[in-house]
Amino acid sequence: MSEATKPTRSPLRTWGPWVALFVVVVAVLSVATFTSRTAPTAQDRVNNISFTIKCPVCAGESVAVSNAPASLEIRKEIAEQVQQGQTDEQIRSYYAAKYGEAILLTPSASGINALVWILPVVALALAIAGLAIAFRRWSISDLDTATDADREIVAAAMAGEPIDPSPDDEHGEGNSR
Amino acid sequence: MNVALGRAGVTLGLAAAFLGAITVGYGLIRRRPDLVRLSRFYAALVLLGGVVAFIAMERALITRDFTVKFVADNGSTKTPALYNFATLWGALEGSIILWSTILGGYLMAVVIKFRRRLADPLVGWALFTMLLVALFFFYLMAGPANPFRNFSPPPGFDGPGPNPLLQNHPLMAFHPPMLYLGYVGFTVPFAFAIAALVTGRVGEGWLLATRRWTLIAWGFLTVGIILGAWWSYEVLGWGGYWAWDPVENASFMPWLTGTAYLHSVLVQERRGMLRVWNISLLCATFSLTILGTFITRSGVLESVHAFTESSIGPSLLTFFAIVVLATVVLIGWRGDRLRSPGRIDSPISREGAFLANNVLFGAFAFVILIGTVFPLIVEALNGDRISIGVPYFSRMTMPIGMALLFLMAIAPVLPWRKASGELLRHRLAWPAWIGVGAMVLSVILGARGLAPVVAFGLGGFAGGSAGRQLVLAARRQGWRGLVGRANGGMVVHLGVVLIAVAFAASSSYVRQAEFTLQVGQSASFSGHTLTFEGTNNRQESAKSVQQALVRIDGTGPWGPSLNKFANGAQTIGTPSVRSTLTDDVALSVIDIKGTDAPVLTLRVTVQPLIIWLWIGGAVMALGTLLAVFPGRRRNPLDPVSAPTGASAPPRTPEPLAS
Repeated sequence: MSEATKPTRSPLRTWGPWVALFVVVVAVLSVATFTSRTAPTAQDRVNNISFTIKCPVCAGESVAVSNAPASLEIRKEIAEQVQQGQTDEQIRSYYAAKYGEAILLTPSASGINALVWILPVVALALAIAGLAIAFRRWSISDLDTATDADREIVAAAMAGEPIDPSPDDEHGEGNSR
Repeated sequence: MNVALGRAGVTLGLAAAFLGAITVGYGLIRRRPDLVRLSRFYAALVLLGGVVAFIAMERALITRDFTVKFVADNGSTKTPALYNFATLWGALEGSIILWSTILGGYLMAVVIKFRRRLADPLVGWALFTMLLVALFFFYLMAGPANPFRNFSPPPGFDGPGPNPLLQNHPLMAFHPPMLYLGYVGFTVPFAFAIAALVTGRVGEGWLLATRRWTLIAWGFLTVGIILGAWWSYEVLGWGGYWAWDPVENASFMPWLTGTAYLHSVLVQERRGMLRVWNISLLCATFSLTILGTFITRSGVLESVHAFTESSIGPSLLTFFAIVVLATVVLIGWRGDRLRSPGRIDSPISREGAFLANNVLFGAFAFVILIGTVFPLIVEALNGDRISIGVPYFSRMTMPIGMALLFLMAIAPVLPWRKASGELLRHRLAWPAWIGVGAMVLSVILGARGLAPVVAFGLGGFAGGSAGRQLVLAARRQGWRGLVGRANGGMVVHLGVVLIAVAFAASSSYVRQAEFTLQVGQSASFSGHTLTFEGTNNRQESAKSVQQALVRIDGTGPWGPSLNKFANGAQTIGTPSVRSTLTDDVALSVIDIKGTDAPVLTLRVTVQPLIIWLWIGGAVMALGTLLAVFPGRRRNPLDPVSAPTGASAPPRTPEPLAS
């Protein structure tokens, strides 16, 4: 198959381990995803909900974090609502109706509030697009970007003349490479 | 007496910073090296002014001199000595004293380090910039945030003492100074960046000169943030350590941009590219520390950390605007010199990875910035009040964190310029299998759910890459293989991996419940048995303590408590945490009713791997120290681009240190 003088590795030897790795990863991830743990208990749901509801009397803490009496009260209330079989969304909108939208620590994805979700994604997309364009330009641009001044310096150096550093470069740090 | 001494210190510092800036600035413009060299005296005087103010305030606090308003507001005869000492940075005015004193220290350190180059315009302009920053902070102390206001205490007066939360754990004595050493430390590279712009010497000289300063500031900031997380875990009692609170975010944003800078600066050192970007990152880091101080210290945002509303907001905002404007104008003015003709050959290369790193860190910082200030913007626009909390930040930052872990796995093995597929396959094989091993192990140990298991896998992958680099370096160079920037950096990566894995595990598998127990009753939760044994109520100098004695799996008793401080109506809980290498059981008292037959309401939080957060922090600190330690010096005449093919000089392995 391969020439005796230039042994090339067969594709199987090159890619075999990586295919095996991929298979193991997929297997492990599907076990991790689909053999779910025990369903969340009522207590877990209470905790999760209380992280998304702001303590009405304290400074920027959720009711899960705060130990203010009002938070303890709301946590107890949430526990009751969970026991009554209300959904997370029902409970959350109950508090939004009672205290106003500001009680929810997750901004809604409607109106101007949607910007807080969209802006970072747009910024990241723009940054990636910018990088992609830069790489494209780098890859098609000619390597030879030397200016005439650069060529003079090279010619002078080749001719054995001492290079005269520019006057404000007394420390040899270069100022415009 | 203390007021007079303190004011003398502030005035001295203010005058020295003002005259120093004028003298150095004039000397630089008129090309008078004799004047520029005077910076050393002014720096010493600024430091002296800060130290005098610091000593005056500490003296006032220790002697409980209530004629100083700050002490009357925040001190108390009942506060224990350690917390009394730490009260200085427990409130706004005092924290500015600490900030200014540290700034004076850095100023003096720069003067000493660059003592032979004081007349060099680069150093001169950097010192000029630092003197201006010092001028601003001493102005804050002289004007809007004056810590040395008079107060005439009525007879028998005793102050309220510091905020109860701030006298509840010894970490309070270390976390703020570390954080400030980090914040203020970034002034040094920022000042040199400005100096590079002003002098037009935007080459790599200033980068090399400030390399170590940046690392040291970054290291302090890292340690400060982690100590802060630890403090909140040990004190706040809700079972967590990071709540995406505005103040936490304010410290995290400069850390992110600073980390981005530490990486992208390598591209400039090596390839001479990204000059504008690096200067911008440094200026962003510095201005984010100012913006963070504004956000958290002016009362515009609610936070558990926020000090009471104060009048320094406008000053800080103005200063922030000046910093940003000055930077933008200077960069625009030097635009021609900042352009670099270099190019990056391939995205699959070390420099390509650094660019990706910067995009991700930038996005991370942007998410946090927007999440923190968006409520302000919305309220300003249409008057609606909204809140943004943990769920938003978790959802937005998780994918970025994962991508960063992936990059941490790939980047260390990438060569400069261009990597071939074969090289990548060869170098990544072991790390990739370590990652797979971590995933398999986690699933065998019971981990479930896509996100955490992927995080463990990526953590193993990244740890494997860092480990591979360290093993190779150590094999080549012996113990010196652990020293120097690149190798120390890999140790830092290992610390980051520990923290990332611990973060993923603890936030995915946290279990929390509340129990109401009578004496002698037990509850079992998440594999642990908790037995309420009784209470221990006592009176301490500053607080009365209601302590519950609880055994966890027969160990203990552990003593979470409720503390009522003499001064306040507020009751503060002190959690008690049993840490093991595998999991933490944190207990906090919600309520204890009755004294004869007490009934305890207890909150129990069980989280895996918490202790590895702190161990990871220690590894990061160690790695930073190793990175600061001088590695093998590169001969300045060596070509800096990677040797290619046959023309590469033969590498003789260094003999191992015997």
